Amino acid sequence: MGNTYAHYVSHPDTTPGIDIEPSFDPQIGFANGRKPRVMVATEEEMQSARLPQDRRDYCAHILIDYQACRKDVWPWAVKCAHKNHEYLNCEYEDYIIRMKEYERERRLLERQKRKKQAEAA
Amino acid sequence: MSSLAKFCKISTRLWPQNGVYTYNIAKYSMIRDYKPAQYPTTEEERAKAAEKYNLIKEDYKPIPDDGNGLGDYPELPMVSAEAKDDYYPWDFPEHKRNFNEPMHIWANMLGEDRYYHNPPLRYPMYVYWLTFIGVMGGFVGIFLVCENYKYVQPVVKKQYPSTNKTHYTFESLK
Repeated sequence: MGNTYAHYVSHPDTTPGIDIEPSFDPQIGFANGRKPRVMVATEEEMQSARLPQDRRDYCAHILIDYQACRKDVWPWAVKCAHKNHEYLNCEYEDYIIRMKEYERERRLLERQKRKKQAEAA
Repeated sequence: MSSLAKFCKISTRLWPQNGVYTYNIAKYSMIRDYKPAQYPTTEEERAKAAEKYNLIKEDYKPIPDDGNGLGDYPELPMVSAEAKDDYYPWDFPEHKRNFNEPMHIWANMLGEDRYYHNPPLRYPMYVYWLTFIGVMGGFVGIFLVCENYKYVQPVVKKQYPSTNKTHYTFESLK
C-alpha cells in the first residue's frame, strides 16, 4: 500500500511504477562489476520438457529436475518434496532480486533528483 | 380370506341406502354435471351463463376460447385469499369465501397456504431503485477508481533469460 500511495500521491516522480525495467546502468556503484545471473537449462531442454513460456526463467533447471523426479517415483510424488522446496526457494530468491532491483531504481531516482536540485541551487 | 369376504360384501355396500359410496361416486365420477358448457356466442347465452355462475351480466366475461376447452367458465380477477379481508365475516373463513360465490379457475392455488398473486411492496418503489443503483454504482465506482490507480508491488518486471539482455545478481565480482 505504501508504494501505491507513494507512486500516485506523495512521490510520483521518484517511485517506479508497475512492471518496470530498470532504467539505470546496472554497474553503477559496483567498482568490480556485478555477477551476471546464470541460466542453467538450455532452450532445447526446456522445449523437450515442454515448460510453459512463463516458467522458462532462471529456475527452469530445478523445475525440470522436479518434474522428472515426480515422473520417476509416481504415484509417490511426495518423495520429491525436497526438490519442490528447492524450486520454491529459487523462485523466492528470484523475487528478492527483483525487489532489490526496484529499490535500487527508486534510490537512484532519488539520487538523481537530489543532484539536479543541488545543481539548480 | 378376508379379502374374499370383503369382495362379497361389495354389493351390499353399493346399496343406495349406504350413503357414503353413492355420494362419492356421484361427486367424483359424474363430472358431466360440473363441466362448463360451450363458449357463449349470443347475448342470450351469455346471460344464461352469467346466471349459472351467480354473476351479474356486466361482471360476466368468459375465458377466451383459445383451445383449452374452458367453455363458458368466467374469467374472474386473480385475487389470492391472503389479499382478502381477515375480519370480514366470511361464510367459509378458512377459504375466505362466501356461499355460492363463483370460484376462480385457479382457485386451488389461490388459497392462503399457496400463492400470493399480488402482494403489496414492503417499501415504496424508489427505495428498491435507490438500493439497486447504490449497490451497482458503488461497485462500478470502485472498479473505475481501481482501474486508474492500480496496486504497485515493489518489484521490477519478471526476469527471463534472453540473448540481448543480461540480468545481474547483487553479488560483486571480486
